[in-house]
Amino acid sequence: MKKLIEVKGVSVSYDRKMVLRNIYLEIEEGKLYGIIGPNGAGKSTLFKAILGLLPINVGKVSVKGDKIKKHRKEVVYVPQKSDIDWQFPATVFDVVLMGRYPHKGIFQRLNQEDKAMAMQSLQDMGIEHLKDRQIGELSGGQQQRVFLARALCQEAEIFLLDEPFVGIDVTTEEKIITMLKQLTAEGKTILVIHHDLSTVQEYFDKVIMINQRLIACGDVETTFVDENISKAFGGQLTILHKTEEL
Amino acid sequence: MKIKVSDAFKASDAYNYKKMEIIEILQYEWAIRALIASSMVGVMCGVLGVFIVLRNMSLIGDALSHAILPGVVFGFVVAGYSLIGFFAGAVIAGLIAAVIITWIQQNVKTKNDAAIGIVFTAMFSIGVMKISQISRDDGVHLDLKDFLFGNVLGVSNEDLYLTAFVTVYVLVSVIVFYRYLFATTFQSVIAETMGISVQTVHYYLMLLLSFAVVASLKTVGVILVVAMLITPAATALLLTDKLQRVIFIAGLIGLFSAILGLILAILLETTPGPAMAVTATGFYLLAVFFAPQRGLVFKMRNKRQIRQKVELEDTLKQAFKYQERKELSLKKLSQRLSFSELKTKSYLKKLSKKGLVNLHLPTIVVTGKGIKQASKLVRAHRLWETYLVETVGLTDEQIHEDAERYEHILTDELIDEMEHHLGYPTVDPHGSPIPRKHISKNLKLNQIGQNQTAIIDEKQPSEYASAQLWQFGLLPNTEIRVISFKNNQLKLRQNTKTIELPITLAKEICVRKEVEV
Repeated sequence: MKKLIEVKGVSVSYDRKMVLRNIYLEIEEGKLYGIIGPNGAGKSTLFKAILGLLPINVGKVSVKGDKIKKHRKEVVYVPQKSDIDWQFPATVFDVVLMGRYPHKGIFQRLNQEDKAMAMQSLQDMGIEHLKDRQIGELSGGQQQRVFLARALCQEAEIFLLDEPFVGIDVTTEEKIITMLKQLTAEGKTILVIHHDLSTVQEYFDKVIMINQRLIACGDVETTFVDENISKAFGGQLTILHKTEEL
Repeated sequence: MKIKVSDAFKASDAYNYKKMEIIEILQYEWAIRALIASSMVGVMCGVLGVFIVLRNMSLIGDALSHAILPGVVFGFVVAGYSLIGFFAGAVIAGLIAAVIITWIQQNVKTKNDAAIGIVFTAMFSIGVMKISQISRDDGVHLDLKDFLFGNVLGVSNEDLYLTAFVTVYVLVSVIVFYRYLFATTFQSVIAETMGISVQTVHYYLMLLLSFAVVASLKTVGVILVVAMLITPAATALLLTDKLQRVIFIAGLIGLFSAILGLILAILLETTPGPAMAVTATGFYLLAVFFAPQRGLVFKMRNKRQIRQKVELEDTLKQAFKYQERKELSLKKLSQRLSFSELKTKSYLKKLSKKGLVNLHLPTIVVTGKGIKQASKLVRAHRLWETYLVETVGLTDEQIHEDAERYEHILTDELIDEMEHHLGYPTVDPHGSPIPRKHISKNLKLNQIGQNQTAIIDEKQPSEYASAQLWQFGLLPNTEIRVISFKNNQLKLRQNTKTIELPITLAKEICVRKEVEV
């Protein structure tokens, strides 16, 4: 197995508060990873550290053995829905076309081929009929598909998705997970921050469990077990169990 | 009468005279220069302003325009009365202000807007202090008022060339770097992951902004350049939600504000800069009230239409209810609805035009079509009440008013979905019957046509049928879809499984099918 991303002893802090402590990870090519952990466990921070969006106190992240800077267009990031300004005057097509930006030099213009690729990605996500809509006019499921279409349009190798299943309907969730599985079958590597523990077994090949520290990382069958879950979620899960009993 | 007519003549004479005057004035070279300069400033500021507004940087625009004052003054000190000196000094001061503001925002625990306020007032003050010092020392003419409000009528050829150069530079930059501006404005984090340097784009925009402010000095001055940046852009944003169109429209509104403002100033014999700002504000107000969809007038009309629809539907519903009780009269209806009899009558007339009630009979009669529509409302109302009690967990007393509102809003699909979700209830929480849209018809499996769906009953007529169901892996109370009949075999799908069974068996299996009434 090829190691695609290596996280070596990374620690990150905000305002002198440690968010990630000494994380070691090796991400293998062509697998679908679920990243699991309670709120404030540093899941989004881990993504930002991998993407080189924030200063890392200690440690190193490498993509294909290099710094992320060398592989920008191969890595695509789909942020949480709440991080997006839905009022912005942008149409669905404008957003998807952004996927072509990393492939262009400063003075290069977007051409017909780029537009055709954007259209193809819209079709793959089944939203070509919405191409001229302003992004805020769409339903939650459609909005998520727009950003996935952009990811497809970028022709990336590595996908980082932050809570893609929040606020969308069940049908769209099924469609998206099927598509992600298909992408991994084609050799893409996908990391998904996920909060619904009941679907972890079904959705992912591998699971990364963190709570500021790395709790466990490995195949879902052997890693997503009660012992690790209670380590990751600590006190929170007992509350969960109690509410279930009620 | 006579007096009035002659007055009107006088007024129109005065108007014609003014018109003549404007045409005459516009033939002077200085007027043409003023017109060209302000047109260019209008377009450039309108276009650039779109990004300033979308980035929530309106205050930065204000700050930068004030902060260039010390640059202009020191440019004068170093190079004397030279346009290039002013320009270079202003741009440098603008960039220094941008760098200091950004540095404070990133490194000091001061709120963003406070940081902007501190820097620009400080720089502006240094500029003012230096000006008054120079004027006292040398008695030179460096007028603070021109700097603040512009002096468009004093635009020189040199000024014009500079403005033209800057306008072209700014517009070309926006076109060439459009996707960088779009990406960093819309999603700076994503832009960063795409390898776009957000910081570089930010400073480049600051550079363009400094250029635009300096070029606008002569026309509108530092205080009002903000109006030319923000107002046309904010107006355009009310009119469309496609970015390229927003930019185009903002440029156009900037252009018209500048030209009309200048003409207005000549007509009223007042200062051009403020007249341009006021004209731009006029466009903005027009958009606030009359913009399609987002304008207040449109919203108000929409609201009124919704209220009328609700009242009309309420009238129909109550008429239907009274008719059921055989008590339908205009008086009772208007009392129940707390409308005046006149209002009730006008709604009844509207309903009769739609064929929902008949007013040509001795008493008011709700027609068959009207009954159908009214029971749809009752159905929505009672299903919503049931939903609130069963799923949300509210009590019987809390639900009626909510349902009164929702019965007008819920779509057919949503109502059907809710009914399905609630398991086809027959009465609402108050015990009143829920009008059904569907009834279940009891059928045998072989009676279901190709591509149609049905639900397998839990209770089967014989032990044999139940056992066979189990054998074939068919689940009771679960939907099936018939795929085909072939060679005495019936092929069907349940969930993800395809199952084949003999037609002789299908004749024995009881199913139910929801059909519309």
